[in-house]
Amino acid sequence: MADKKKMSVAEILAAARQQDSGEGDATPSPAEAAPAAEEVVESAASAESPPAEEPAPATTMKPGERPSVKDILAMARSGESGAATKPAAPKAKAAAEKPAAAAKPKAPAAKKPAAKKEVAERKTTASILAAARRTSKAGPMSKAEAAKQPAAKPKAPPKPKRPVPPMPEKPAYAIPVEPPEVDQSRRTAMKAAGVTAIAAAALFGSALRLGFTSLATTLSLWGLATARFMFPNILTEPPSRFKVGFPDSFSPGVVETKFKAQFGVWVVNGSYRGEQQLYALSTVCTHLGCTPNWLEAEQKFKCPCHGSGFYKDGINFEGPAPRPLERYAIRIADDGQVEIDKSRRFQEEMGQWSDPASFVSV
Amino acid sequence: MDPNLLTHWQNISGFLGFYYIALALMNGIAAFVVWRRSHATVGPVLLLLLSLVYVGVLAPLAFSADATWMPRMPSWFTQLTNEILGGSWGAVIYTVGSIVLLGGLFVARKFFVRPDVAWILLNASLLALGLSFSDPNFYAIAAKPDNVPIVGLIFLLGFFTWLATSRAVENDARALEGRPPLEKENDEKILVWPDLVYTELICMILLTALLLFWAIGLDAPLEEPASSVKTPNPSKAPWYFLGLQEMLVYFDPWMAGVVLPSLIVVGLMAIPYLDFNPKGNGYYTIEDRKFSYLMYQFGFLVLWITLIVLGTFLRGPNWNIFAVYEYWDPHKVEALNNIDLSNMFWEQLMGVSLPKAPNEAGFFTQLGFILYREWLGIAVTLLYFIMLPPLMAATVFRGFFVKMGFMRFMVMSNLILFMALLPIKMVLRWTVNLKYIIAIPEYFLNL
Ligand code: FES
Repeated sequence: MADKKKMSVAEILAAARQQDSGEGDATPSPAEAAPAAEEVVESAASAESPPAEEPAPATTMKPGERPSVKDILAMARSGESGAATKPAAPKAKAAAEKPAAAAKPKAPAAKKPAAKKEVAERKTTASILAAARRTSKAGPMSKAEAAKQPAAKPKAPPKPKRPVPPMPEKPAYAIPVEPPEVDQSRRTAMKAAGVTAIAAAALFGSALRLGFTSLATTLSLWGLATARFMFPNILTEPPSRFKVGFPDSFSPGVVETKFKAQFGVWVVNGSYRGEQQLYALSTVCTHLGCTPNWLEAEQKFKCPCHGSGFYKDGINFEGPAPRPLERYAIRIADDGQVEIDKSRRFQEEMGQWSDPASFVSV
Repeated sequence: MDPNLLTHWQNISGFLGFYYIALALMNGIAAFVVWRRSHATVGPVLLLLLSLVYVGVLAPLAFSADATWMPRMPSWFTQLTNEILGGSWGAVIYTVGSIVLLGGLFVARKFFVRPDVAWILLNASLLALGLSFSDPNFYAIAAKPDNVPIVGLIFLLGFFTWLATSRAVENDARALEGRPPLEKENDEKILVWPDLVYTELICMILLTALLLFWAIGLDAPLEEPASSVKTPNPSKAPWYFLGLQEMLVYFDPWMAGVVLPSLIVVGLMAIPYLDFNPKGNGYYTIEDRKFSYLMYQFGFLVLWITLIVLGTFLRGPNWNIFAVYEYWDPHKVEALNNIDLSNMFWEQLMGVSLPKAPNEAGFFTQLGFILYREWLGIAVTLLYFIMLPPLMAATVFRGFFVKMGFMRFMVMSNLILFMALLPIKMVLRWTVNLKYIIAIPEYFLNL
């Protein structure tokens, strides 16, 4: 924004050069330039002022002279000719290029209309600005200068107004008709009816129908898909009941690890409290749920996460695990095989390992 | 000569050679900078000599990968380290050793912050790292893509601690002379734009570039697909959680996974409320706020960083302790027969078995028996949390109590007590194999 107001060095230079070369024919007369300068200063200050299309002040006046009301009126009356005495607001390029305005021969101060037209086309906003500034001396000025310079008044002369034709009589159809008295309840009822009508139209009748129908369809399909997503096409867990073979396939003192990967159990034929039992230990560490490993050489389960260790019977003895491994329900099925049921667990610290469902005596 | 060792040397010889060249460059640049700054001769000449040793001796030897000449840690050193750290007292020696080391650094900080001393320490540690790379076991740990950031972290942390401490030492010396601190004397303001923003921009670009090259150069340490029935051995948390994982060795998951981490966060948030000392505001100092400084550094350096380093470099298969030059043998036996305090009291001291409710007893009878079984642990814990704060207020922290008021002091002392739980528990585990002070696995309450 600031760039708009300030001129860059390059622009100033360009303007100066143009000034040097084309002074003779291109410079507007001082009488013309002074008001123009004012205009420029003003419009530069308010960068958004629209390109003025109103007529500039009469060029016949001396710079700084306020036009009298009479003058203004006269100018207004003279209409277009008065308005065209000078291209308005040189800041706007469009205005500057208006050949019609610039070339009006009626303007007494315009020297050579043809030349002026050419110049007006060639001049950039910046150069015009520069020229204007130079004439009215940019920058701070001394008091003496200020006194000498009557043109540098803060306010631009009032702009003459376009004559406004008198308003015609209002035609009958434009006169608002007093709305008939409607009581409040009726009005609400009407509103409700309107809403219902719109809703009905949305659903059954109007152009909205397509939109709402497809929206509803999409949403319901999406909901169905989400619901389906919750039930993936796989079994997330192996069946909770499974058979692991006949009891005599588990020799005493052996930890059977081959069911660990699929079912997450160790089937152990070991002794618990002096009793030889077949039991199924869960492969979930009771500390934080990692999967321990059975170390045959050390005869213990050892967790790789924080080093908990469990004896062969599942009792915790080292590391942070606070309680023994859990047992799953185990029994001899009707066909004589060992069947493990993972849906039932037995915890030692709760005294559940004495439950006959938690082991098979061998 | 072990053929495996030779292959290892051949594999890493290129990397090691460039490593020593980088060290030489580092020292050469330092020599130039010192000479430009001070125009002294001794320092730059020494630095240049060091740099020549790196580039003229160590780098060619490393490139050669020769069986006799490969630069490596002397074998007595590696064996001694393995003996000391790999034994059953490894964790104790490591932790106590690092506390002693950090304490020594703190006490003699005036000496250690001197630039020449710090530079010698930096060179020594980098050289030790390079020599240790020749050991295949060490290399396997330290050069694992997972662990590269931790190696970097150790050096970065060392640098920043040195930076802060050296400024604090200087400011403390200035305070003694009655001069204002460094930061106050030279507190000319600079502009956010462009000074700060440009710096940040450049840092951002450099870091992004570094991360890009890192990501291209080192493969992501991905493991086999996750499986609920198979846990890798050892199973290590991401490096920034290794401190927590180490805490889990001593605590129940509820304590180490939920309560203590939340308390860490809450405690950090409470610092502005607890720390009313206006000194040290905007400048580094140790003398003006010794207690806060020590508390913080103990919590951060000892209870967090050294645990991360321990988890990274010393924990191996089955979460056993392995020394840095030791082979990760998954069958290493470490006898750890841990028992609860209740076992100690009832079985060892009283010579009876644990009190146990009859099987068909009601809920309250069960609960009563559990409380009876654990009474000692419960009493000790209650005493610890109820008795100690007033005791602290009456004795060591009397001045604090007066200044802080009741509420603030209570918050602070309880936070400190919670923080102290970890070292206490570690020491108890090491010395008397204590598993839990209170052990109520029936209700998942273990301390
Ligand atoms: S999860 Fe097994 S020791 Fe922590």
